[in-house]
Amino acid sequence: MTVVLKVEDLWKSYKKNEVLRGVTFSVNEGETKVIIGPSGTGKSTLLRCINLLVRPDKGRIFLDGEEITRPGINEARVRSRIGFVFQHFNLFLHLTALENVMLGLTKVKGMPKEKAEEAAKKALLSVGITEDLWHKYPAQLSGGQKQRVAIARAIAMNPRLILFDEPTSALDPELIGEVLKVMEKLAKEGMTMLVVTHEIGFAMKVADEVMFMDGGRIIERGPPQEVILRPKNERTRRFLSRIWELYDLGVRG
Amino acid sequence: MALTVWDYLPVIFSGITNTLILTLAGVGLGFALGIPMAFAEVLGPRPVQLAIRWVGRVIRGIPLLVLLFIIFFGFPNIGITLPPIPSAILAIGIRSAAYQAQLFRGAVEGVGYGQLEAALSIGLTRWGAFRHVILPQALRLAIPGWVNEFTIVLKDTSLAYAIGVTEVFTQAVHVAQVILDYLTPLLVVAAIYFTITFTASRLAESVYRRVSVPGLGGGAAL
Ligand SMILES: Nc1ncnc2c1ncn2[C@@H]1O[C@H](COP(=O)(O)OP(=O)(O)O)[C@@H](O)[C@H]1O
Ligand SMILES: [Mg+2]
Repeated sequence: MTVVLKVEDLWKSYKKNEVLRGVTFSVNEGETKVIIGPSGTGKSTLLRCINLLVRPDKGRIFLDGEEITRPGINEARVRSRIGFVFQHFNLFLHLTALENVMLGLTKVKGMPKEKAEEAAKKALLSVGITEDLWHKYPAQLSGGQKQRVAIARAIAMNPRLILFDEPTSALDPELIGEVLKVMEKLAKEGMTMLVVTHEIGFAMKVADEVMFMDGGRIIERGPPQEVILRPKNERTRRFLSRIWELYDLGVRG
Repeated sequence: MALTVWDYLPVIFSGITNTLILTLAGVGLGFALGIPMAFAEVLGPRPVQLAIRWVGRVIRGIPLLVLLFIIFFGFPNIGITLPPIPSAILAIGIRSAAYQAQLFRGAVEGVGYGQLEAALSIGLTRWGAFRHVILPQALRLAIPGWVNEFTIVLKDTSLAYAIGVTEVFTQAVHVAQVILDYLTPLLVVAAIYFTITFTASRLAESVYRRVSVPGLGGGAAL
């Protein structure tokens, strides 16, 4: 079993606010791990540390065995091997769907244009973005389409790992399904994924492990059947009961 | 038979060249100085940011005429003597730089942090992110402001009258003094300013339409 990502005793504070307090876990090749937890507990900060957008105060992160938190690391090169899917999509607004996917291929990987276009189209098709949408600008796409383009942008770079930060939280309920379906397919195809989400249905179906974060720590972890259906920790239980309420109210399909 | 303003039209028109030179050189100098100022203010180390911010504030707080006189009449005291046209270009350019820096900084900030994060996330370097993602969007966002700045600079070139540059306003005043009629030459020069401003705005609008994309400041800007 190959370890793709290893996070070792990660700490991060903003002034007096201790956001991460000793986070440790790893993700093996082909695994999907899901992080759940109340907002403000450092989930986004954790993902941004892994992507080197935020420097941790303490702790180390390894990608394929290489320490990426060491000083002097080529950050851009590391990031090109890690996909990132944002809550608010963050598609490049001045580029079409196709160009959004091509940019990294041409400017980071140095692919010739025709080859990049071919690869970008393949990635777009794999997330169900068909030819009629390739030349549309982000403002002309629905939220679900935008997020699928964003996933294609990540996939096309052929990353070792994709990080998802609440990829469906900004979507209208009826559009959540199409994005989750793409993510599920991706997981089945063997992509290594670390997903922050409140979609417990997705976690139940896809996750190899669920980690519950609270107050900057992982306070419970295990197979989804255990953490989600039989949480041991009191705070996990309280959080999940609120999530279940939303489910039962039919807010989520 | 007394000469009328119509006999002197060519004299007034002859000033248009200098007016356009002052405007284009002033806006150009302002752009050349303003863009690096904006970068330094957004990306530079803290002391540089503060210094640039204060330089901008001071320049924006001084009337252009005062700046013009400082350069033309004051600088010789410190050994810098410039002819009228370069003096006017320098004054107009410096002042425009202070405004363009502000304009462009606003545009860069308007692009938003999410775009930078996404650009870095696909593996672009900071420079690459700037070059391929931030800049193309910021330039589009800044276009309406630039058109506005151009028209302001155009009108302000008339202040060069005060140091004897023969631009279009100066010529109109000279004609007025000869024919002893101020109203008609000044109406003519007003019409000239308006025509240039209007044409430039229209031109810019069509450029803007061409480069604008849905969701990034489409529609009429002017
Ligand atoms: N750049 C920042 N500067 C200061 N505080 C921050 C910054 N980013 C996040 N925080 C704080 O860190 C805490 C955790 O934030 P975040 O990682 O976004 O949590 P989550 O994703 O779990 O909701 C919050 O209290 C937030 O206000
Ligand atoms: Mg978050």
